Amino acid sequence: MASPSSNFKYSDGLTVVGISICTAIVCEAISWLIIYRSNSYKNLRSSIDKAAKKLETMKTDSNNINVKKSKTRKIDRVETSLKESNRDLSLFKFKSGGVVAVVLFVVFGLLNSLFEGKVVAKLPFQPFGLLMKMSHRGLQGTDPTDCSMAFLYLLCSISIRTNLQKFLGFAPPRGASAGLFPLPDTKTS
Amino acid sequence: MKEGKSVKFNHQQRHQNGHLSPSRFAKLLDPEASWDKDQLGDVLHWIRQVLGLVFGLLWGAVPLVGGIWFILFLVISSAIIYGYYALVLKVDEEEFGGHGALLQEGLFASITLFLLSWILIYSLAHY
Repeated sequence: MASPSSNFKYSDGLTVVGISICTAIVCEAISWLIIYRSNSYKNLRSSIDKAAKKLETMKTDSNNINVKKSKTRKIDRVETSLKESNRDLSLFKFKSGGVVAVVLFVVFGLLNSLFEGKVVAKLPFQPFGLLMKMSHRGLQGTDPTDCSMAFLYLLCSISIRTNLQKFLGFAPPRGASAGLFPLPDTKTS
Repeated sequence: MKEGKSVKFNHQQRHQNGHLSPSRFAKLLDPEASWDKDQLGDVLHWIRQVLGLVFGLLWGAVPLVGGIWFILFLVISSAIIYGYYALVLKVDEEEFGGHGALLQEGLFASITLFLLSWILIYSLAHY
């Protein structure tokens, strides 16, 4: 394939990155059109933020003084309302997620047909196990440092999409999820 | 005494404008400043991303080859994050969900960004 910087041996890698940046922008634009600009989403989000903060302050307060029954009941109430809002939020996400998944799938198919069986980059380390399966997907050679399009596309889509969402302020609010691996509450007092 | 100060005061000034004014920039190095969970999380997230990108470009340009350099990146970037919040900002990590939550902030995105820039620069510059 003729690419703008074909004097590099692995210029295909650049093309993959460029395409996935464009895809990420398109996906965010679609999500914005479908959900983020709607008022009901904005209301939901601010109510989640508020409830999460309220809950946090209530919990820190209840650590200091003796916990009264009415207080715990109040905390429970805020907690359930937070859970309900979170459920509504994931319903919203589900709607746009479907459309975005279709776009990603189409782009992946397109990239697959462009770069099938091609080494798009060279890995500076030796992958193993599952990582090796991903990075060597569809390649014929036996060199473990060969990198297929699928692996590069995966890296791009995770890093670029996460940071783009964060930059635009579309990332899920912290009250909604406790990160990738929810940590147990370590408070002992 | 320290409790609560980070939670209460900063809600109003958050998200008013997306850019860092000089006073906000100074806050990044001020151990007296108060933080709420979102602000600190965002700052740590972006520091992680910058570290991932810079180390990726550096590792790829040198070039450093081998899985040990990946481990080294993880150790260095986590040490920088730890040093930043524990020694520069001197926040109480219990207020923000413990060391695990703070060190995990933006970790996954930073790893993928690091790998991406490392692989890309290495492939383009040395082949």
